Formats: sequence, structure tokens, C-alpha cells
Amino acid sequence: MTRRSPALALALAGLAAAVAFPLLATKVTWQNAAILMLMTAQLGVAWNILGGYAGQVSLGHAAFFGAGAYVSTLLSVKLGISPWLGMGAGAVVAAGLGVLVGTPCFRLKGHYFAMATIAVGEIVQAVVNGSDALGGAVGFNLPLGETGFWGFVFNRSKLPYYYIALGLLLATVGVNWIVNRSHVGYYLRAIKDEPDAARSLGVSLTRYKMIAMILSAGLTAMGGTLYAQKELFIDPGSTLSTGLSIKIALVAILGGAGTLWGPVLGAVVLTAIEEATRIAFGGTGRGTDLVVYGALLVVIAVFQPSGIMGLFTRRAPRPVPPPEPEARFP
Amino acid sequence: MTSPFRTFAALAALALSTGATAQEEIRIGVLYPLTGAAASTGIELKNAAQLAADLINGTDKSLGLPLAGAGGLPGLKGAKIKLVFADHQGNPQVGATEAERLIAEHKVAALQGAYFSTVTTTASQVAERNGVPFLNADSSSPALTQRGFKWFFRTTPHDELFVQNAFEFLRDLQKKKGFAQPKRIAIFAENTEFGTGAAKLQERYAKENGFEVVEKVLYPPKGTQLTSEVQKLKASRPDIVMQSSYLGDAILSMKTYKDLGFLPTALLANDAGFNDSEFLKTMGKDGNFVISREVWALDLGAKKPVIAKANALLQARHGVNFNGNSARAFTGVFALADAINRAGSTKPEAIQKALQQTNIAGADLIMPWGGIQFDATGQNTKGAGIIVQVQDGKYVTVWPFDLASKDVIWPMPGWDKR
Repeated sequence: MTRRSPALALALAGLAAAVAFPLLATKVTWQNAAILMLMTAQLGVAWNILGGYAGQVSLGHAAFFGAGAYVSTLLSVKLGISPWLGMGAGAVVAAGLGVLVGTPCFRLKGHYFAMATIAVGEIVQAVVNGSDALGGAVGFNLPLGETGFWGFVFNRSKLPYYYIALGLLLATVGVNWIVNRSHVGYYLRAIKDEPDAARSLGVSLTRYKMIAMILSAGLTAMGGTLYAQKELFIDPGSTLSTGLSIKIALVAILGGAGTLWGPVLGAVVLTAIEEATRIAFGGTGRGTDLVVYGALLVVIAVFQPSGIMGLFTRRAPRPVPPPEPEARFP
Repeated sequence: MTSPFRTFAALAALALSTGATAQEEIRIGVLYPLTGAAASTGIELKNAAQLAADLINGTDKSLGLPLAGAGGLPGLKGAKIKLVFADHQGNPQVGATEAERLIAEHKVAALQGAYFSTVTTTASQVAERNGVPFLNADSSSPALTQRGFKWFFRTTPHDELFVQNAFEFLRDLQKKKGFAQPKRIAIFAENTEFGTGAAKLQERYAKENGFEVVEKVLYPPKGTQLTSEVQKLKASRPDIVMQSSYLGDAILSMKTYKDLGFLPTALLANDAGFNDSEFLKTMGKDGNFVISREVWALDLGAKKPVIAKANALLQARHGVNFNGNSARAFTGVFALADAINRAGSTKPEAIQKALQQTNIAGADLIMPWGGIQFDATGQNTKGAGIIVQVQDGKYVTVWPFDLASKDVIWPMPGWDKR
């Protein structure tokens, strides 16, 4: 218990700061940046279940994100169903898609799995692009206009989006935490580090990878619905692109894949760099913002290859290969 | 937990250092893709917009456009226009965020942008929510003005008008030049938003105008060969091919036409790849006689001297000619300045009202338009396209006939006769 208390206190302080932040920082730019951080963090944390704990690096998560965005949008535009229900439906569809993808692809190892997921992402994008019923390449506009909580469109203030994004992030972290502590978490780490040993001990690789996939895909889709309701416009380019898939993975890997808070940290740092460099240099048109952004990524990759989270855990005495000693006891 | 707050502090410092601007200026936020795949276009747009603002702020009246050389806006006691540029990277979410930042931090009186129809969609939503006028000078998706927005104004014609133009051109050829009316049309288009949208409109207008659509082929633009697609086209024996392609596929299709000896009476292209400066560089003589729709052409300057004069100014400053995109961005700034000047105020409601009452004469524009006047949806009703043909390796205006610098060459001469 004594070892956990400072961590708990830190988490509570962080939560209090996150809740109070938009009330103190009333500037739209700050609130926007903060919402972007929360949304990006949520995607990174969701990706982390599959890519971090289970070690199945997916570069096709935009397909799940898009599933969430498209399902809730279609339901709300065509049938007038509340996006909150759409969010649940999107998660179910994405989880189904995840099972569909996982069934053949989990037979692939390492890089081949990552390559297969890129293909899946591209296929989903191509299918939506060519389908008139799904809006084709044009996408969908959601109606503007304040609708209150149930309609999930807020014009007057950024605060609802902020707190929804925060809530979704906490829920996603919560799922991660539960997975991490449960036997599923142990199995996933075993699958990641020593798949053959895990199998020889009777751990069903496919089954536990599939559980990670379902959770990861479903939670990513919920982030997609939030995106659609915030931007009120979706098209294949903005919700299904491979660039988005890479960003989701990047956030988690940069922050520290396979750790609880790594993806959150990665999202905060990445978004802050992105926004700050763009605001400072973007108007010049010389691409300075992207040069700075790229340079910082290289610096982090060179000096902190295990992710930014490594900065905080480095001093903790621990044997080198097995990670997460603090998670050994419930 | 200290790290996020440190980064926030850095962010704040940056925001403050760029957010301070003088009070007596009229700030207009301008969103363009200044980095990423379309960066070169974005920079062209930025330079053209800045040239327009500098002309209005300066005192050189020689260009002869209203407000050019006015030394600031007379309706606001000579207040200068300051363009605040932002980079949306071609990303709709970034476009919305940047629009919001320009409104909240820079207190812009109006916004202009954003070239990509997708980014214009989200950025103009932000303007609509905040009650700030948004002038779009260069996105052609018809859906943009079908949203019932009150703060959105578009000076450029949209895709539907461009397709109509093609059929007007065919009709004029028959009526005014006595050409035999072709009947068989084949539609050839790449399969993303641009091509599929244009193909749909072309099909509809072809039927309404009594043409027969004998074939419609959609292809993926990133493919490495188009042989079977072109064979399908050839087999349908069309008089006219209406084609919507990006650069790479435009070049590939032309090479395939030549290889397979496919020669329709005319190839009517839909701007994009066929009007890219790389197209003629790669195609050489084989690019001749292609007919394409355009929004602007340099040879219009022969009949409209203001175009040549404005082009000379841009040449002097940046060493490049105007093109359809930059000419429209330039025109957008003048249209906004005209409205703000008449409003005599930077209050959004006053500018919105002035925009609704905009009535700029065609003679006061560097565009081949009848003028600028917005309908209830915010669409300029006096916009028009032109049709150009490649002759001797140059794009020359061939329609409307009163603006044409050369006669159209029709039918297209054979591949071996060039």
C-alpha cells in the first residue's frame, strides 16, 4: 500500500486539475487544445490494449474509429437516433469488425500483422469511398444547432465536449486498468513476450488476442463518434485514413506502449508540440512547424526509445527484461 | 504531472506572443493549406491574397480596380487590412480549430479560405456558429451552399455550373459555328469525390440536353495502367469524351489513347490534372488540342487589360503568373474588402448585411465573370467558367466566344498529324 499511495495521490491531483482546467483556462484555443489532447489520449489508450499489452501492433485502427463515426452519424442522420445510442452501436459494429479482422490476421506474427492491418484500413476506406449509401467520397454533414445533451451537439460552450472527452478517456483508462490487473492482462503480456511459452501453458492465444481486439476496437469507435459529433462532418479522408491509424499508434508508442499512462502522456506531449508549433510557425507557409515537430519526435525516439513514460520509471529498481513489476499484485 | 503544465505554459507564451495585434487594423483570417501535399498551391493562394491586401492598403491607383490604391478602406477612415494567415494542412479538424483560434484570439472581422472543400466545410461551420462572415473563393463542391448557412458566401462558381458550361459550349458550337452536333458521349472519371461527383452531373446534363451517354467508366486514380478502361471507351465509339482526372492519371490516359489509337472528335476535360503545369511539360505535342474547362486564363488579358496589369504585379513580386486558383483568392480579398468598406464597420452583422448587398461589376474583377452578387444561399450568381484548348503548347481561351483569343480546333487532329 505504501508504494501505491503517491501514485494514487498523483492520479487524483491530475484528475482534479483536468476537471478544473477548462474553468480556469477560458481561452478557446486552450480549451480546443485540451479537448484534442483528451480525444487523442483516449485513442492511444484504446490502441494500447491491443498494441501495447498484447503486442499486436495495429496500423489500421482508423477503420474502427471510422466505424464509430459512421455508424452513429448514419443512425442520427437517417433515423434520428441519438448519437449516444449510436456510440454504443458503433462500438458493437467496430468490435464485430475487429473479430472479422482478427480471425485471419491473428495467425500472422510481428510485422506481418501490422502490414495486414494497414491493408484492412485501406480496404475499409476504399469500400466507403465507393459506396453511395455511406456517403461515398463526399461524406456526411451533421446538422448544426444546439440540441442539448441527448442530441450531442453543443454550440454555446466547449465545456460539454471537454467533459465528455474527459469522461470517455477515464472510462477507457478504467478498462485498461481492469484488463491490466486481471488474469487477461497477465495472459496478454505473456502472449506478447513469450507466445510459445504461453501456449504451452494452455493460454489460448487467439482467444485472448480477440478479447484485446474487441475492447480496443470498441473503445476506438467511441472516440470516432465523439469526433463526428464535435466536428459535425465526416468523410473517408478525415476518419478512415492510414495517417490517422499511424497517429493513434504513434501516440501510444511515443508515450510508452504497454503502460497505463504512457499513451495519455504521449497524447499530451504530441498534441502540445503539434498545436504550439503550428500556432507559432504555421502561418509562415514554410513548413517550419512540421520541421520542429519532426525534430522533436526524432529526439524522443533517440533518447527515450521506450517512450516518455520511461523518464518517470527509470529510477525504479527493476530487473531489465520483465516490465510492470508494480502490477504483479492485485 | 508537471510535464503537461510546462507544455501548457509554453503554449500560452506562444499564443500570447502571436496574439498581440494593433487595434486600428481590420483583421481578416485566411485559411490555406500552407504545408502538406497541397502546400505549393496554398503558398500561391497566400501570395495572391497578400498582394490584394497590399494593393488596397497602398496608394498606387494604376491597376484601376475599385479600392486598389485607396490607402486603406475609406469607409473606415483609411483603416488598413491585415491578413492573418493560418495553415490547415488539408485537415478538416485542423481547419476548424484554426478558424476558431482566428476568431477568438485574433478577433478577425471575417474569414477567407480554405481551397479544400472538406476543410471549407468544417471551418465555415465554426464561422456559422460564431456569427462571423466566411468568404469562400476557391472550393467548388456544390454541397457547400446547400447547407442553409447565413454567414457563408462563395464567389467562385461550383462544379454544377462548370458541367453546364460544357454543354453550353457544345450548343454554341452548333448554333454559332454551324458544327454538326455530336450525339455520343462517353464519361471517363477517377472514382473519388471529384470524379464521381462530376460524372454524375455530366450524366444528368447529357440526358437533359439530348445526348446519348454510350459509356461511363470510373477508375481508381492511383492505378498504374488504364488499358482495359480505355479499350472499353474505344469500343463504345464516342464522339466526345468527358474526362475528370488528376495529373498522373490524366497523363497515363493520354498515353494510352495514343498507344491504342483512340481518337474521339473532342476530349472535354474537367480542369484538375489537365490544367496542371506539369501536364503539358510531360505530354509535349501529344497534349495539344485537349479542351478543358477553366476559371481563368492569362490570355483573357488581351480583352480585359486589368488582368494583364494585375498579372504584371504578381510577376514583379513573385515571378509567377496568376492561375485559376490564385486569381480567385485575389478576387476574394477584394470582395471582402468591398463589403467591409460599405459596412463602414467591423461588426459581423454589418459585414454580413453588406455581403448580401454586394454588387460588383464584371469590369471591376480580374475574373471572366458577369460580376459578384450573392443569392440567398450565399452563392455568387454571376460567376462563369471559360473553356480553354491547348494550342501550340499553350492554354488559349476558346469559349465564351466574346472572350476567346483563338478559334477552337475541331475535330481533334490525329496523333500522327501533330
